[in-house]
Amino acid sequence: MPLLRADQVEAVLSRGHSTRVALDIPPRFRSGQAVLTKNINPQGHTRLPRYARGRKGLVLRDHGVFVFPDSSAAGTGDCPQHLYAVRFSAAELWGPEGEPGQYVIVDLFEDYLLPVGAGATSAK
Amino acid sequence: MNGGHDLGGMHGLGPIEIEADEPLFHAPWERRVFALTLAMGARGEWNIDMSRHARENRDPVDYLSSSYYEIWLKGLEVLLQERGLVTPEEIAARMAALATDREAAV
Repeated sequence: MPLLRADQVEAVLSRGHSTRVALDIPPRFRSGQAVLTKNINPQGHTRLPRYARGRKGLVLRDHGVFVFPDSSAAGTGDCPQHLYAVRFSAAELWGPEGEPGQYVIVDLFEDYLLPVGAGATSAK
Repeated sequence: MNGGHDLGGMHGLGPIEIEADEPLFHAPWERRVFALTLAMGARGEWNIDMSRHARENRDPVDYLSSSYYEIWLKGLEVLLQERGLVTPEEIAARMAALATDREAAV
């Protein structure tokens, strides 16, 4: 049973904790590519917020490969995959109430994304 | 899950209050809850995603009525109980003892 002793706390906290995975997995999407988020409503954990489901966005950056929270939280495996910064226009998220020129950038896992033009929003 | 934590786009919650020189903790018990959570996390019984889910997977009324570190404590209790590291009876007994201590001190 690992224990966190008082004399270890400072070192542990200053080192921080990352779920980055050192695996060379080819990315499915690239910076500048238009993507469509899936419309999913899982009973379990997900980091895809409701307001960003079934929306079109633009990949701004590929952060690299990370543990997939949805499967990790369920204890079904790390499913390491690319994490992207995806930009959505306010109009795409909020419709006519969205302020012109405003954007929301959400870090999203590859499993949440489809290439634009892929059709079905609920496809795996 | 579509829980109470997923606030994006929700109306009626009011503006975010920005505190000047915001303290890390607003009461001594918050510091203890944070330390307890880190100490128990070091056991490796759960990962960060399981702990996030334990905090978020609550009745939305309870979630939205709880402060930040109240949610951390409630999540920790779930994680500990799920793994048999503490029982609801033990928590209830300790709470009753603390309440008795407080009454005696008044």
